[in-house]
This record gives sequence, C-alpha cells and structure tokens, in this order.
Amino acid sequence: MVGSPVLFIAIPLLAAFLIPLLGMIWKESVRIVPGLVLAYLLVLSVSLLQHVLAFGPIIEIIAGWKPPIGINLVFSPFSGFLVTLMLFLGLLVWAYSYRFKRNVEYEPALKYFLMLMMLITGSVGMTLTGDIFNMFVFIEITSISAYGLTSYYKERNSAEASFKYILLGSLASTFLLLAIMIIYSQLGTLNMADIATKMHLMKPGYKVASLIFFITALGIEAEIFPLNGWAPDAYAEAPGPVGAAFAGIVVKAAVYAVIRVIYTLFDLPGAYQFLIVIGIITMVIAETAAIRQEKLKRMLAYSSIGQMGLVLIAFGFGTKEGIYAALFIMFNHAIIKSLLFFSGSYLAYNSTEKNIADVSGMAKHLPLTSLLFALGAFAIIGLPPFAGFWSKLAVLTAAADSSLWLIIALVLAVSVVELVYYLRVVNRVYFFKKEEDMEPQKPTVNAMIVMLILGAIILLVGFYPDSVTGLLHKASSDLMDKSQYIQHVLSAR
Amino acid sequence: MNPVLNIFILFLGGAILTYFAGRINKVLQSLLFLASVLVPAFLFYTQLSIGQSATFSVDGITLNWSLNYFGWLFSLIVLGLGAMAAIYAVSYMKGKQRLGTFYFNFILSIMSMTGILLSQDLISFFIFWEIMTWSSYLMTIYNGNKVQSIGIKYFVFSAIGAYAMLMAIVMVHSITGSFLIKDLINAYPTMQLGMQIWIPVLLLTGFAVKAAMMPLHVWAPGAYSNSPMAYTSVFSGALSKMGVYGMTIVFVTLINKIPQGIWFREVIAWMGGITAVIGTLWAIKQDDAKKLLAYSSVAQLGYIITGIAIGTELALLAGLFLAVMHALFKGTLFMVVGAVEKQTGTTNFTEVSGLIRKMPWTFFAALLSIIALAGIPPLGGFVGKWMLYESLITSNHYLLVIVIFFSSTAAFLYCYKFLFGFFLGQEEKEWSHVKEAPAAMVVPMVILSLLMFVLGTFPGILLSPINNGLQALGYTDSYKNLWETSVILNGWGNHVVLQPILYYIIAIFLFFVVFLTLKGYKNTRYVTTKDISSSGEIPKEDENLTFSENFYQPFFRAVEPVMRRQIDKFYKNLGEGLEALFEFMRRIYTGNGQTYAIYVIAFVVIMLLFGNYLLK
Amino acid sequence: MNESLFSLLNYGVYGTAVILMLIGLYGALIKKSLLKIVIGLSVVDSGLNLLIVALGYYKGGTAPIFSPAYLAHPQLMVDPVPQALVLTAIVIGFGVTAVALALVIRLYRHHGTLNIDQIKNLKW
Repeated sequence: MVGSPVLFIAIPLLAAFLIPLLGMIWKESVRIVPGLVLAYLLVLSVSLLQHVLAFGPIIEIIAGWKPPIGINLVFSPFSGFLVTLMLFLGLLVWAYSYRFKRNVEYEPALKYFLMLMMLITGSVGMTLTGDIFNMFVFIEITSISAYGLTSYYKERNSAEASFKYILLGSLASTFLLLAIMIIYSQLGTLNMADIATKMHLMKPGYKVASLIFFITALGIEAEIFPLNGWAPDAYAEAPGPVGAAFAGIVVKAAVYAVIRVIYTLFDLPGAYQFLIVIGIITMVIAETAAIRQEKLKRMLAYSSIGQMGLVLIAFGFGTKEGIYAALFIMFNHAIIKSLLFFSGSYLAYNSTEKNIADVSGMAKHLPLTSLLFALGAFAIIGLPPFAGFWSKLAVLTAAADSSLWLIIALVLAVSVVELVYYLRVVNRVYFFKKEEDMEPQKPTVNAMIVMLILGAIILLVGFYPDSVTGLLHKASSDLMDKSQYIQHVLSAR
Repeated sequence: MNPVLNIFILFLGGAILTYFAGRINKVLQSLLFLASVLVPAFLFYTQLSIGQSATFSVDGITLNWSLNYFGWLFSLIVLGLGAMAAIYAVSYMKGKQRLGTFYFNFILSIMSMTGILLSQDLISFFIFWEIMTWSSYLMTIYNGNKVQSIGIKYFVFSAIGAYAMLMAIVMVHSITGSFLIKDLINAYPTMQLGMQIWIPVLLLTGFAVKAAMMPLHVWAPGAYSNSPMAYTSVFSGALSKMGVYGMTIVFVTLINKIPQGIWFREVIAWMGGITAVIGTLWAIKQDDAKKLLAYSSVAQLGYIITGIAIGTELALLAGLFLAVMHALFKGTLFMVVGAVEKQTGTTNFTEVSGLIRKMPWTFFAALLSIIALAGIPPLGGFVGKWMLYESLITSNHYLLVIVIFFSSTAAFLYCYKFLFGFFLGQEEKEWSHVKEAPAAMVVPMVILSLLMFVLGTFPGILLSPINNGLQALGYTDSYKNLWETSVILNGWGNHVVLQPILYYIIAIFLFFVVFLTLKGYKNTRYVTTKDISSSGEIPKEDENLTFSENFYQPFFRAVEPVMRRQIDKFYKNLGEGLEALFEFMRRIYTGNGQTYAIYVIAFVVIMLLFGNYLLK
Repeated sequence: MNESLFSLLNYGVYGTAVILMLIGLYGALIKKSLLKIVIGLSVVDSGLNLLIVALGYYKGGTAPIFSPAYLAHPQLMVDPVPQALVLTAIVIGFGVTAVALALVIRLYRHHGTLNIDQIKNLKW
C-alpha cells in the first residue's frame, strides 16, 4: 500500500496550520507549499486509484473505531476517480494563479492560497467520507472557504455575491443537519453503509422528509434550480480561477453527495424520476438564461448550471450507461469549463465590467488564449472531434436505451441554444472591433501552460476517448453496486 | 499501414502543417496546402480499391470505413472539384489575411467530406458531418461580414439538422444495438412503424439542411455569398452534395423498402419542386452575383432532390447526374465570380459590365457553365434535365413537371442577367484597367467547363459510375444499364450512337464560327459602345446606355405576392420571440438574496407537499 | 415529576426549537436589514441545535461521562452523539456568522446601506 486516504485530509489541514508560521520565515512559502501539498496528494491519489482498480476499494477507519460506529473514509473507484479529478484541477488552479498578480501582497496571497487549499480539501473530504455528519463538516469547510474566495476582490461587488452565497449556504447547512438528525433519530446511526442496510426500517414519511432535506441542502451546493440563486453571482464575482474551482471541484463534490445519498442511502425509485425532472428544469432554465447574459463569467456560470442539469438527468436514468454518461460529462465539464474560465478571464482581464462586449477583437492581441477559448467553446457544445462530443453521445445513447425520446429531443434543442451563445462570444472575440483602447493582459507562463494542458486533454479525449472511458466504466459499475459498497464498509477491519 | 488511415492522416497532418507554415513562408504554405489536398486525393484513386476497409474501435463503438462505388461516385465531386478549387484558391487568396485559417478549414472540409463518403457506420459519419459543419462555418465567417447573423444562422440550422440526425442515430442504436449502416438497413424493414417513420424523417431533416431544401434553405444564400469564393465553389458544389448523398442512401435503402415510402417520396419531391421555384425567383431578383448564384444553387438542388425523391431508376439517374453537373457548373460559376471580384473588387451587376474583352477566358468558362445550367444541349445539364422531365412524366407527376419546367424556364432570366451583367453591356472607363485573372485561376475554370462539355457529349462516362453506385446501394434493377430506360439515351445516350450526330453539329458550329471570324477578320473595326448615334443624338461620355438595374421589373410585379411570404421572416420572428422568452426567463434571478432564499423554502414546501411521489 | 408533565416539557422543548427556527427563518427571509438577516440565521441555528440536543435526551437520563450517576445506572446514559454533533454545529455556526458579519461590514462600506433591497447590483 502506498499511502492512506486519511492523508488527503490530514496533510492539507496540517499544512493550513503551518503555512502562516512558515510564511513568517519565508514569504514565498505561502504560495509554494499549497502547490506542493496538492501535487503530493495528486500523486497519492493516482497511485491509490491504480491500487483500487486492481484490488478493490480501500476503507480507512479513523481512530480505530470500526464502522458503523466510527468515521470511515472510502476510496473506491468512483470516489477515487472524482478525488483524482478534483486534485488534478486543484493543482492546475493553483498553478494558474501562482503568479496571478505579480506584486500581490503577502496577506492576500496567504488568504487566497489557504482558502483555495481548504476548498479543495473540503471537497475531497466530502467525496471520501462514509459518514453523513462528517460530510456535513466537510461541506461547511468547503462553503466557508468558498464564501471567502468569492469575496476576494474588495473593489468588485464580490461581497454582495458572497452574502447571497452565505444566506443560501446557511440554509443548506440547516437543512442538512435536519436531514441528518431525522435519520439519526430513526436509525441511530450516521454511517452511510449502515444507514443503507437499515433504510427499510424507516417509516416512509421520515424517509421522504429526510431525502427532501438532503436534496435541498446538497442541491444548493450542486446548483439545482431553484436553489442556485447564489451561483451566477458567485461565479461572476469570484476570481477567474476560483470560478473554475467552483465548476470543477465544489459542484462536482456536491453532485457526488447528491448521488451518493440517492443511490446508496435511499431506495426510493421515485427519486430517479425526480432527478430527471429537476435536471431538465435546471438545464432548460439555466441555458435559456445564459443566452441573454451580458457578462462573460455569468454566462459561463449559467452554462455550468446547465451542464449540471444534464448530469442530473443522466444520473436519473438509473442505469449503468446513465451513470457512465454522467461521469463522462462531469469529467469533460471539469476540464472544459476550467479552460473557459481560465482563458475567459484573460480575455476580459482589464475590463472592469467583464462584459461580453469587452472581449471583442481580442483574438488579435491574445491569439493563443482566444484559440483555446474557442476550442473550449467548441468542445463544450459537443462538436466532434473534441471531448464534449463523446459525453453527449453517451448521454443520448443512455437515454435512447431507456426510450426517453422527448428527453433526447430536449437535450438536443437546448444544445442549439448553448451553441448560439457560445458562438456569439467566439465570433466577437475573432471578428469584432475592439471598442476602446484597452491594454490586453498577456497570460503568465504558468497560466499558459495550464491552459495548454487542458486544451491537450480536450484534444486527447476527443480523438482517443478510450484514454478515460475504461476508468469511467469501472467507476460507474462501482456506484451501481450498492450491496458491495455496504459489504466492503461494514466488513472493514 | 492501411491506405484509408493514411489518407486521413495526410489530410489532418497537412492541415496542421499548413496552418503553421504561414509563420515561416507564404509560398511554402501555399505549396503545402496544394500538396495536402492533391496528394491524398491522388492516393485515394491510386491506393484505395473498392471494398477496402479500415476499422477500429473507440469507446466500445466500432468505427468502420470502407469504400464502395456509391461513395466513389461522390468522391469524384469532392476530390475533383476540391483539387480544382484548391489550385484556384492559392491564386485567389494571395495577399489576404488569415491564410492559415482558410487553408486549414479548406483541407478539413475536404477531409471531412471524404470521411463521410468512406464512413460505413453512423458515428464516424456524424463525426465527419460535424467537422464539415464547423469547418464550413469558420469559412462562412471568414470575411467577418455579419458573423452574428449569417454565421450563426448557418450554424444553428446545421446544428438542428445534425442533432436531428444524432437523434435518429441513437434511435437506431437503441433498436439494433449497433451503429453500422449495414445493420440499420437490414433491421429497417422489420422495425415498428413509428420508428420506420421517425428514423427517415430525422435523417432527412439533417440532410435537407445541407442540401438547402425548403423550408430549411434560409441559411444558404447568406452562407454561400459570404464565404471566400474559392471555398464557395466547394461549399455549393460539393458540400451541399453531401446532403444529396445522404438523401439518396435514405431513399434507396430505407424509404423505398416500406409501403409508406410513397408519402415520403411525394412530399419530398414536391418540396424539391417548390425549392426550385423559390430559389429561381429569388435568384432573378438579386443584383449581386454571389447572391444570385447562391439562390440559383438552392434552386438547382431542388431539382436534384426532386429527382432522388421520385425514386424511379431514371429519376435517380437524373438526380445524381444533375448533382455532378451542378458541382461542375456551380463550382465554375463561383470561381468566375471570384475571378471578377479579384480583378474588379466588386460583384455587383450594377457596377461592373463589359468584361468580355478584358477577361475572355473567364467569359468562356462562364458561358459554358451558364449553358450547362440552363440545360441547353450539347452541355451536360441538358441530359440531366431531360432525364428528369422524362422520369417525372413516366411516373405521372404531371403537375410537378409544370412546376419544374416553370422554374427551369425562369432560370433563363437569371442566366442571361449573369452573362449580361458582368461580361456584356457597356464598357466603362472605370474598368478599362481590368486584366484577365491569373492562370492558376483560369485553368481550373476552363478544365471544369471542358469537363461539362465532355459529359454532355458522352454522358455514358458518368452514367456508368452512377449505375455502379446505385447497384452498390443495393438498387435492384431490371435493366443491365439503368440509362437504357430513357428515351433520349436509347437514341443518344449510348455514346457510340450519340457521337456522330453531335460531332456533326459541333463541327458545323465551329466551322461557321471560324468561317465568319476569318471572313470578317480584315474589315473588322472595333467600335466602342458609345460609337453609335440614334436619331442624330450622340450619347455623351458619361451616359449609361445599358441597364443592369431592375432587370425584370414587370416579371416581379407578377410574382410579388408569392415572394412576400418569406420563410426567412418567419424564422426571424421565431428567433426574436424565443429570445424575448429567454429574457423573461432570466428575470427569475432577481438579484435579491432573500428572493433566492424564499425559492429554497418554497422548494422545500412544495417537495414536502408532493413528497409521496418519491415513494412510487 | 410525573409522566405527562415530562412529555409536555419534552414537546415543549421540541416546540420551542421549531418556533425558534421559524422565527429565525422569518428574520432571514422577510427582514430587510442585513444584520437582522444574519441574526435570523443564527437564531435558526440555535433552534436547530436545541432540537438536536432534545432528540438525544430522554427522561431521567444521565450525562454521558464517568460520574457517580452514570456508574449507578449505565443504561440511563443519554446518547452522547447528538451532543457531540451540536458542539461541532455550534462552532461551524459561529464561523459562518463571523464571516457573514465581516461581509455585512464590507457591504455597508461599499453600498452605504444595510437594506438588502438596495444591494442587488448583480442580477439577471
């Protein structure tokens, strides 16, 4: 064994404590150490993932208390895949923002990198944990860092966005605690696997109530309509890389939690239909709202919400193909949307309003960044031969196998809307005249490398999807197999 | 390595290399561009044999590429016209901006079309289809004119078509469990009626968009006329034929297999006829050559669609023959317009005139193409049109014949307008500096127009590949050679019999031309346009004696009511209505945090009220 | 203390908790002042914490620590888990309130008002 899943939580927490102290000695450490931590965790997670794919899930028991009493971490192919994805993106976000403002002062940098690390740690913890109260704690860690990161820029309206986030986030934590307490009062346990085995003992009324509170609470983080009021503001006002982190990391963790709750904890068939319905509503409203946006990042935010709707629809099929498609979209979305946020924030770097109109004609000044933005836009629309196509195809085939023709038609119709608003921006970048003399900011070397890596992945997955699909298939059969999950956790030593 | 893969790798590698070569040297870039179109095309005909295939599997899906006779037939259009247009393009694009983008997308378009013809499974078909769509989209907006309206209109229509196709593809997959076209064809006759209808409808929607069939044609005029002309000749000549290619497959292998197919055939045939009429009327109205040709393309594709939809042997033959002919003459005509544009800087009939002596070779190509377009013997267009009329009459579509005939006759009006507008009429001083286009532009035009001549004389050259192609699709015919069904070809079409008659005609024609020229050569006196006097009045220097404006005003007074009902307007209103709706939708996000919190509470309350549904 | 009085008390605790939560929600959803909204959110938290503690308690239970009372009747020990959870929840609630108050200060500096209706630059 190469390491233990507990390191995913222990190391960043320890580092978070030590970094301010180290910073007193050597100021650069506040930027470098989080990167080192994330890099180490990524290596760890990749090696663990290989181990897990070969030998089955690792169940880490904390402090010697065996399940169902103690807290346990589950590193299965499914959670391991997501953790690896999150850490990879986290490392890229770190690398992108390593020199985000050349002369940024010590204290803002400290806060930024610490909160970024905690954001990632919280999301990773949410994904790994096998205990619902522990999940609550990690969600709170994630949210509080997210509030802080959202309000990072003092000169923007970021405090307003952050306050909205906090308002909804507090409600989320209330409802989550309520759901946890209903389950605890009825079943007397907090362990997910244990809850899953005892779920049939619960009265239907309590069951439904706790599921609804779970969905509400996690849905706020997972941007389900109508719980996602915070999302466009937060994405638009947070620093660009943080938007990528939200789309690629936080939301993924929240969707994971929703899915874990619905697939493993509860056995309500109606919940799958509910996922489809709510997914459709989320997708349609978000994509149609996106088409009339004036601000670039806000548009990307709505697009993100729309993609999450699609993920929920795919999860709602309840088949293995559906889960596979959903995971594929999550993967693609994490990669592509990060690229769009990264390149988009350079295209609109010096505009105060970050309006779409301000990116006009940027292709002349930032050719490579514009090209990467266009690549991302083409990929997320789902044009072959880029990555997005394969996930769209997967979702459509999964829907067709369940004979959900109307959903296919709807998803495709919404894709047309998506195409229109992305193309409008790309056209603007390439063909419109610059409106005023705005000195474009050249991307830093780190940022360029990060964007190129993401672009390369889009092309790689587009031309050779087998590079990820094997992993996705294993992860999806892992989620499907509930009894095995329970058995693994409860028999852990 | 497999030759099929080699071709794709050469195309793709060539495209990327060409894109970056511009940084080093422009000449090198042009050479690379030519090589990466011509070399794979050469390999296609030398290395690939019929039935040769390549497969590999992606994500559990088997991609299967193989060459059959039907694909080979269309490859003539794609690679032949593509090669000519490539040679033309090097000269046409000289000195323009963003050459790398142009070359890259040009090569990708050719590659994707070749890929479509080789694809034997629906997924790779779709992938190439989409590559074709976005590469042509990038060409449409290449000049940067009205990118938000014309470019997006093109892409939206293409996407609607492509997504309809994608839906059909996943439907097929859910029924047969396979993406192979072969499996679709085998399983189709035993499917449920609902699927038997939906699959062709969705597939035809996809193809109809590319083939610019009414009511999905509204993107075409803008897209054709705004692309660089060197590309438009491929765009209108070859790319639109991919729609025809797909339609033919759908009709021959699917629709004709079921009894309900008759409805499809009638409806699509009529839509083709109406497309032809609408396209022709609008073409006549245009004052810009690009627009005129664009609408004319729509009209011509209408004939082709009608022929394919009717679906008798002769009609199919006519449709496919016209498809090839259209690729030739419309490709040439767009090149002609490009040459005029390059030399004069405008393509408006009201501005340019009298270029016949300035650009004689261009005029020659334009003349032959126009003759072919109008369907006058001895050029190829005549044979195709004759077969189309004959097939319509023998299959008892008398009303449709009238419609097509009307459109075909009306087409003379714009044909004449085209020739007159550019080449005839008053020579103006403004254009006295104009010279003939460079040789690299003239040669492809002349080659293509000579090909039209050859095919009109010996239609058998083309008819036998068409025949093979249809048989490769599984067309069961009672004749050994399909064209023997035609009256005209019984007499003439068998080219052994045809030759002497036509040769006589041509010889006499040439004799008179030479005779008259030689006879008048000595006492020829060149006169300027103003060298006339009528009733003693001598026209002044700046007086305009020829008019290219409002050419057919009385005609339009007659057809005005028909044309006022524009489908374009309908789509425009639809789009604006949808955007207004979307604008309303986004007001859900009021900006007030408390409202969002109230949404959350309302969500919880509603869910608790209807929570019982979760149990079911 | 007789049975019915106890259950009344017990329900009274639940009732109080629920009423507290509703009051808090009222504050957070209807009141226009940012400060009142933050107060409302903490009141919701308090109500919830009370509810959780009440869930873990039963009649005559002893504290879950080693004490003479516990050693006398180990089976009467109240469930320690909700108490541990509430401790965590209180800490988290404190943290969130602190962040929220910091944001209120910044909002006041930026907009010069505490009325949430006037702070909606980000919309649609």
